[in-house]
Amino acid sequence: MIEVQDLWFKYPESDYVLKGISLKVPRRGYVAILGENGAGKTTLVKHFNGLLKPTRGKVLVCGLDTREHSVASLARRVGLVFQNPDHQLFANTVYEEVAFALKNFSFPEKEVKRRVEAILAELELDRYRDRSPFLLSMGERKRVALASVLCYEPDVLVLDEPTTGQDHKQKEKLAEILQRLVDKGKTVVVVTHDVEFVADHIPISIILSRGQIRGQGKTLELLSNEDLLAETFLFPPQLTAILWKLSKLGLHPAPSMEGVVEAMLQARRQGP
Amino acid sequence: MRVFEGLYYVKRNTAMHRLDPRAKLVYVLCITILSTAVFHTALPMILLFISVIPLAVEGRVLRRLLSTLRGGAMLAAFIFIFNFIGRLWNIGFVSPSSPEFLEALMPSLAMALRFLTLIAAFSIFFLTTSPDDFAQALVQMRLPYDYALTFTMAMRFIPTLAREAQIVADAQKSRGLELEKGGFMQRIRNYIPILVPLIVSSFRRAETIADAMESRAFGASKRRSFLYMLKFKLSDALFSIICIAITAAIIWLRLSSFLPP
Repeated sequence: MIEVQDLWFKYPESDYVLKGISLKVPRRGYVAILGENGAGKTTLVKHFNGLLKPTRGKVLVCGLDTREHSVASLARRVGLVFQNPDHQLFANTVYEEVAFALKNFSFPEKEVKRRVEAILAELELDRYRDRSPFLLSMGERKRVALASVLCYEPDVLVLDEPTTGQDHKQKEKLAEILQRLVDKGKTVVVVTHDVEFVADHIPISIILSRGQIRGQGKTLELLSNEDLLAETFLFPPQLTAILWKLSKLGLHPAPSMEGVVEAMLQARRQGP
Repeated sequence: MRVFEGLYYVKRNTAMHRLDPRAKLVYVLCITILSTAVFHTALPMILLFISVIPLAVEGRVLRRLLSTLRGGAMLAAFIFIFNFIGRLWNIGFVSPSSPEFLEALMPSLAMALRFLTLIAAFSIFFLTTSPDDFAQALVQMRLPYDYALTFTMAMRFIPTLAREAQIVADAQKSRGLELEKGGFMQRIRNYIPILVPLIVSSFRRAETIADAMESRAFGASKRRSFLYMLKFKLSDALFSIICIAITAAIIWLRLSSFLPP
């Protein structure tokens, strides 16, 4: 679905921000891109809908070379939700905001209405339908931004830091929505440094550091690789951290919350 | 956004950079007077424009200056075209070989050159003067500190705003916005989704900054002290005197009709 071949990228008057990135996100893939601040995550995903074009190398989206297609035509297939909703909200009402992309892509009036209503209901935003998006809370604005991309059902959905400013309930809700999209056959890419969210929900991860891929594969394997995490300035998920601590004490419980509790109880029963 | 590049301070250690902002203001003022009040035709305008270049070379900001001018060239072209059409309109459209045609052409050219000369002079000032020094100069010239600070903060946020404009444009393009689509009016309307978020977030930011400043006791005492004070050195005085002397000489020559208007 998305194929990146030896991608090098530099902004004018800067050093290379991306240095030889190669990756494949298959159809129906559910992938996290993890990395420290300034690792190049956002720069990388801006290549996925052609906002940035490779300095060297190639990016193929649904088989299309991004250099040969306009952002508008690629955006129809790849929806990109930006980190800060305030960088895109502009309409008078939440309804109009969500309808913006649909109108840009020339959906018929009736279809626009149907889709906007449906997505607003799904994201629990319907009661704000006629309110100004600027008057909503940060978390709600973030959901409006998400709705405004979800509504046109792109084949690939890329979200930049979707979990910041969301409480636990909203994160779980987001995870549910993303899982449903994957089940429906969509491809989902999440850029984040929320390790817990990734560990809990996203099966495949790519770890980026200083413009290079330092690891890709099963999330749980990557996130339990102590050396890799240290090198890439990532903090392990809490569960992993506890498992490491316990193993240094000679305990090796099953890698789950229940396993840890069991091991600790057992240790207490045995006494010091 | 290129035109703003000429407003960012570039940190270097050259004679131009070390000059007191007030001395440089004298220079900018001299160029402004000469190009707006004293001369009105294309030839002196070209000479004035060229006279700015050595200072840019000395301050090692020539490349930046050129990119500013490239940014300003578009506007200069507009000024030229509108002036020219306006003048032709007044005299009735005449053949390009007639003297009236030239009479319409040259002043229009002078107008555009005047604009570029002013941009160049101001750009050199901002390229070689740190915003903090400039604010300090304004304060020492008895401008209230609040105003000086407002100005430097505005300068400080231009790059931020430029970067934000790029992000907003990217975000809207990702939702299928095509800036180049439609007729003239539609194209202007296409910019609404970019301008609104920019303006709204600027207001939000201004409020945050005001709160942050007040919580750090901004304006708590009437007379504030400063860590650094600017000193008007001998070299600054010399530079200012030379600028004023040359300007005065040129004005005198012009008034006694030794120089063309």
